[in-house]
Amino acid sequence: MSFVPGQPVTAVVERVEIQKLRQGENLILGFSIGGGIDQDPGQNPFSEDKSDKGIYVTRISPKGPADLAGLKIGDKIMQVNGWDMTMVTHDQARKKLTKKKEDVVRLLVTRKSLEDAVKHSKCSYAKH
Amino acid sequence: MFCRNQTARATVARGSALEMEIRRGKFRKIHLFFGVSVTHTHAHIIRLRDTECPCVLAALSSQPYLIYKAHWVDKTFNAWVAEMKGIIGPLLSNLQPVAFTDLRIPLMWKDTEYFKNKGELHRCAVFCLLQLGEEIFDTDMVIVDRTLTDICFDNTIVFSEASPGFELRVELYSCCSEDDYSAGSTPRKLASKLSSSLGRSAGKKLRAAMEPGPCSPVSNGVGAPLLLPVPSVPGPKYHLLAHTTLSLSHVQDSFRTHDLIISEECSYWLPLYGSVCCRLAAQPHCMTQQMMSGCLKVKQCGGDPQSWTKVHAVLKGTSLFCYYRQEDVEANVEPAFTIGINKETRIRASEKDPLSKVQNICISNHYGGEEVTHTVTTDSREETHRWMEAFWQHFYDMSQWKQCCDDLMKIELPSPRKPAPITPKQGSLYHEMVIESSDDLSSTVSDILARRMQELELRSQLGTSPTWMSAFEESNARCTGRSRHCTRMSGHSPCTPHRLPRSPVSPHRCPQLGLLSSDASLTSDSDSHCSTSPCSHHHGWPEPTSSYSLLSSSPSRLRPRTLSLDAKLSTLRGRGYGGGGTFQCSCQPPPSSLLAPLPISTRSPRSKHSTQTTLSCSSSTSSNSSSNSEGSHSPESSEGGPFSRPSPARRSLRNLRARLDPRNWLQSQV
Repeated sequence: MSFVPGQPVTAVVERVEIQKLRQGENLILGFSIGGGIDQDPGQNPFSEDKSDKGIYVTRISPKGPADLAGLKIGDKIMQVNGWDMTMVTHDQARKKLTKKKEDVVRLLVTRKSLEDAVKHSKCSYAKH
Repeated sequence: MFCRNQTARATVARGSALEMEIRRGKFRKIHLFFGVSVTHTHAHIIRLRDTECPCVLAALSSQPYLIYKAHWVDKTFNAWVAEMKGIIGPLLSNLQPVAFTDLRIPLMWKDTEYFKNKGELHRCAVFCLLQLGEEIFDTDMVIVDRTLTDICFDNTIVFSEASPGFELRVELYSCCSEDDYSAGSTPRKLASKLSSSLGRSAGKKLRAAMEPGPCSPVSNGVGAPLLLPVPSVPGPKYHLLAHTTLSLSHVQDSFRTHDLIISEECSYWLPLYGSVCCRLAAQPHCMTQQMMSGCLKVKQCGGDPQSWTKVHAVLKGTSLFCYYRQEDVEANVEPAFTIGINKETRIRASEKDPLSKVQNICISNHYGGEEVTHTVTTDSREETHRWMEAFWQHFYDMSQWKQCCDDLMKIELPSPRKPAPITPKQGSLYHEMVIESSDDLSSTVSDILARRMQELELRSQLGTSPTWMSAFEESNARCTGRSRHCTRMSGHSPCTPHRLPRSPVSPHRCPQLGLLSSDASLTSDSDSHCSTSPCSHHHGWPEPTSSYSLLSSSPSRLRPRTLSLDAKLSTLRGRGYGGGGTFQCSCQPPPSSLLAPLPISTRSPRSKHSTQTTLSCSSSTSSNSSSNSEGSHSPESSEGGPFSRPSPARRSLRNLRARLDPRNWLQSQV
């Protein structure tokens, strides 16, 4: 999932739609993110490519909205409601997720297992 | 062309130590010819030390210590030396001062040194050795760490005796130290450190070996400091890092860069860029001293054949200064006229004047396209002879010193040691970036925004005035420093998605999330983040501080800014981050969803648990919203919803955690 500068980034993504949960004054999603272009990518425990500065899901609150929507820990978030997440700072990412006026976020996330699944299905298709 | 043909022969006394050396074949004997061609050879005299048989050893070019047979029969040594000096003297005058100043060696640190290096500052102590002939000088010691971009030595080193064929060897030595050593106390600290570190296992053995016996009255107690056996070379060891050799061709009046030859396999290695910059200047005597002076009669060619002008002439530098009177020289009066003597000058002895039986000397120069000849004569033949010798010597010197004789190079003799000026501790280039609150910057940003606002208002049908503008202004006074950050930030964010102006700053705006203290499960979740986290990688993760440290827009709110620059941009943080949030959003170009040139795609059907696997190209450029059929533009772009503050106690804790080391990996709860 590393990117080559100048080339479009391609990834197998999954759509995850999370309904925000209202808790009094707050709207929460129930997960934590890490990463960003202003962060040290070497500290990311989930990324395969240690120079990947994307936004990753680092924690899911059990039975929270994200958990129910199918978000998995270690997912890399590619888009949030259309906003790109592959080349944003940490704070920008957080902001895109925590918009007061939005009560649903649609994410495009990618993970290694998705890529593998596609490859696998491709291979099996090729066999036939 | 004037030349001399004189040979001097020298014989070595019998029974002398020197003769023994000769017999052993160490030296060769040749004759010394004084008719030296001007293209090569130089000579200097080294007196053979520690022998009862002083001899003159003259070194010719690169062959050292060829002995010239000294003819010294019937002469005492001193007289003999004087005679030799008289003969070889002119050749001796080639020992000139050479000055070496402004030594600077650039370094080339890798960026990983700065950004990933968590360790302490690795420091090296370096110094330079400069050797020319028999003179060796060293520079002051300089402590080098990764905050320096160059190793600079401020010393001025003057070698007083250098021949034109000199070779100045510059060597850079370094001694790396892991800890914070100060230059002066290095040996002591090293010794103490070693002695303390040897305390356990090796130290015990060493101590046992050193102790004469268990009942010895001088045996050390257990707690006594270990006495190290005196090392053969006390102090830290220095290793040769790099060297280079400079010669006459490198001499120039200005600062020049030369290549360094870097030694291999250095454990105490500095990332040398590979060159050394220095100023190497030489002042040959012929440029600074009077080579010859005396009375002359000068006649300009083409003038009246009988009009000789009597002058007191001084040969110095690149000219022959002719003064009317000898007193004028000391009085610093301008000379009557000056005849240039440089490389292009031609001097020849003309025919003997039939009248005075003295040879004239013709000095020809090219001024412009013309050739101007001065005829010079003296009163006696010996004078003429001496002048011709002087001219000859001068030419010889100039040919030897080549470019040094074009112009006088200034050499500043090192002044008596003044105490080094106490400079304030030089911070790293990267640590001390003072971002001054410049009103210009914020006004620039507000100009840009004002323009955009106008564009908006022309085209937008929103009606509401962009209230973010007022927010901007309100916080303007407080956080001018932030604006700089914002302009930088705007470069990062995607710029094509047009967005509406944000809602104004509300006192309760808290873009960061904090968990309600009432929700026990979630807060405990977040509190004990590390323990309940499903992920097992704990050590690398800090507490998710960002979410808890943020409060509403209080001026002293701390944002855990994680910047690619060093964390010590805390000056930014300190200056009222209160408006930081607003700043940030207001810096982004105000969107206009109705006017977006990009098509707003229809919303995808709402499916709560859509888990379709799609192949989609997610372009990392900001125009992805157009290519992406999934997303819809955010209709509004207000800040995140208001969140209540965490309890004061937790807040202070979070504030502490908020002072993040940027090298830790930030996480936010959403």
